[in-house]
Amino acid sequence: MELKIENVTKTFQKTPAVTHLNYTMENGVYGLLGLNGAGKTTLMRMLCTLLKPTEGRILCNGADIFRMGADYRKLLGYLPQDFGFYPDFTVKDYLMYIASIKGVHKAVAKKRVGELLVRVGLTKAENKKMRKLSGGMKRRAGIAQAMINHPEILILDEPTSGLDPNERIRFRNLISELAQDRLVLLSTHIVSDVESIANEILLMKEGELVHAGSPEKIIADIPDKVWKLSLGREEAVSCARQYKTANARSTPSGMELRILSAEKPHPEAVEEMPGLEDVFLSYFGEKAGEDDAVL
Amino acid sequence: MYFYLILERKRGKTMLYYEWKKILVKKGTKMALLVLAAVLAATCYFAIHDVYYVDDNGEHVYGLPAISRLREMKKEWSGPLTEEVIEKVIAENRRINDTKEGRADDVQSSNIAYGWKLGFHDIYYLLMRSFCKFREADYYKPNSLMPEDARYFYGNRVRSLQEWLEEPEQEYRFDDEERAWLIGRYEAVETPFYYDYADGWKQLFAFASTVIMLMMLVLAFVCASIFSGEFQQKADAVFFSSCHGRGKAVAAKLGAAFLFVTVVYFVTVLLYSVIVLGILGADGADLPIQTNHVSWKSLYSLTNFQQYLLIVFGGYIGTLFFSLLTMLVSARTKSAVLAVIVPFFILFLPSFVGGADMFWVDKVLALMPDRLLDMKQCISYFYLYRVGGRIAGSLHILPGLYSLLSVLLFPVIYAVYRRMQVK
Ligand SMILES: Nc1ncnc2c1ncn2[C@@H]1O[C@H](COP(=O)(O)OP(=O)(O)OP(=O)(O)O)[C@@H](O)[C@H]1O
Ligand SMILES: [Mg+2]
Repeated sequence: MELKIENVTKTFQKTPAVTHLNYTMENGVYGLLGLNGAGKTTLMRMLCTLLKPTEGRILCNGADIFRMGADYRKLLGYLPQDFGFYPDFTVKDYLMYIASIKGVHKAVAKKRVGELLVRVGLTKAENKKMRKLSGGMKRRAGIAQAMINHPEILILDEPTSGLDPNERIRFRNLISELAQDRLVLLSTHIVSDVESIANEILLMKEGELVHAGSPEKIIADIPDKVWKLSLGREEAVSCARQYKTANARSTPSGMELRILSAEKPHPEAVEEMPGLEDVFLSYFGEKAGEDDAVL
Repeated sequence: MYFYLILERKRGKTMLYYEWKKILVKKGTKMALLVLAAVLAATCYFAIHDVYYVDDNGEHVYGLPAISRLREMKKEWSGPLTEEVIEKVIAENRRINDTKEGRADDVQSSNIAYGWKLGFHDIYYLLMRSFCKFREADYYKPNSLMPEDARYFYGNRVRSLQEWLEEPEQEYRFDDEERAWLIGRYEAVETPFYYDYADGWKQLFAFASTVIMLMMLVLAFVCASIFSGEFQQKADAVFFSSCHGRGKAVAAKLGAAFLFVTVVYFVTVLLYSVIVLGILGADGADLPIQTNHVSWKSLYSLTNFQQYLLIVFGGYIGTLFFSLLTMLVSARTKSAVLAVIVPFFILFLPSFVGGADMFWVDKVLALMPDRLLDMKQCISYFYLYRVGGRIAGSLHILPGLYSLLSVLLFPVIYAVYRRMQVK
């Protein structure tokens, strides 16, 4: 399975959401990282044939996905960010309906729905109305819906947003289980969601792909160095204003900072091993002075 | 191959089943159906309560208790409506007018006298239509008739039409060929009529358009959210990214909507007919519609039952057309509100532009789809059109025209919806 994005641009009434994007994906888990408004959802919608690119094309094993139509969508599982459903349907009815529009035969669908309900832990809720589910349960129904046709391409748009930490971990495990032998693209702005499960990380900013590669490679390519530094309170605040600060922790003697910078920010700074969080900050972060919320 | 086809059919059925369920489980649908039930109950009540007779004290007795008495009175006059019968009616009417009660001025006495006339009151009304000018309706006119006037009864129908056509005002409305056609239609109606008690049909017709029109609005309300609902519920992304989301799933939606409209329409109409005819009686199905004075001037040779079929099927085509139009707007704009405005707009269009009082405007309005909801009105229209060189009334044009447009709307909605983008 190869999904090739060729020079794809999407413009909404002159505002570009995705610009000249090129990338090729094969089986594996791809983590799409980017801030709000980076264009993640727009890109995913194009990959799901929901939106036509203004420019460029997307090829699935060499064929244009918009030409392939139903043949392409047959391979697809999609969990939208803003996941809607039919509030008066029961979970089971909902899944059976989605199975039918996904072209899964009724008998197969029945079995599959049973399996998936076990897998996502919704067996007890199968006769509950969708409107009565909690946020986490809805997400799980959403994942089940996306998986119902054994998709070869699974696209998950912020599948973990709004989940509590336990649910988030369970979800992450579920996704890594499901990821075998298929192409999974999942977007998030939470680095820890993808750190352990993604084979490839895509960093997206203002509609462009700023960097992509395996987590190790991306970490190795980090443009800044990571520094640890303990300072008195006043000095620490002014230092944090000057540099991208990954972390600021109060200590009895003042503050301990984790700073991203190409050169040594302070004579006392000690270089540290960078992590994916640092990469994220290095590309997307602002200096604390521009965003007081950090302190 | 055959196996494959069966599987395909089955899958289509599953989709259809769930689309049907989607419509039914909605709160809006349940409410709409309740409203429809209430409308139906109220209409049946009015249709039946409308029937009355006048007792010996001059009191009106309405509804159920009146039915058998009135029926008995009218049945006395049933039979071919020959010159002799007309003579008898005129004579009997004069006799009652000459009684003490008939001459009295007080309300009670004149009500008593009126009560005596109820048996032949339908025929009294026909006399009014026959002996008044074409566009005139003088309720007291028959009181001035003499039994020997009876021989003009049927001839008047054609004669008053001829007189009307000769008025200068009609000069530019009809050409010679059309005049001849109209007169031909009138002459083609077979006389003498057969008369019988037919209040069941009369009441059924009187309220049919109310039921059908309100039902159309209720159905349009439900249909308005079928296509836009996917967007409003944010289920669009999953829907359109599914294998059949831009194909069979859309067809299933259309199919479910069509089934819903059809089932609700015919169940409602059937209930309405069974209740009204069941209570008032279905006698007089074979009577010409001209025996009901409101259709005296009709151009069409139809029986009550034929008119009933026309009203039911015309109403169905109209309702279907409006539902489809609503769905088209809903599918295109993603807005149920805009969609539901459309039928209202078309329904009230005549009240905006009809005031112009121009013949050609009325002529165009007589071809609007809302007329299908009130076929009985079309049956009395005098607007003529040329279709392929032949003269036709709106009754000839409407059902075919809107059946065709409805059939065309299916693929249009399908094509519009399957191309929608999810933004
Ligand atoms: N339907 C639309 N019409 C106009 N502009 C849009 C539309 N959808 C998205 N945009 C714009 O495109 C840009 C990218 O939006 P997109 O939703 O793809 O970002 P995102 O990375 O998914 O953000 P988030 O993390 O908040 O979900 C934004 O600037 C947004 O305002
Ligand atoms: Mg998004």
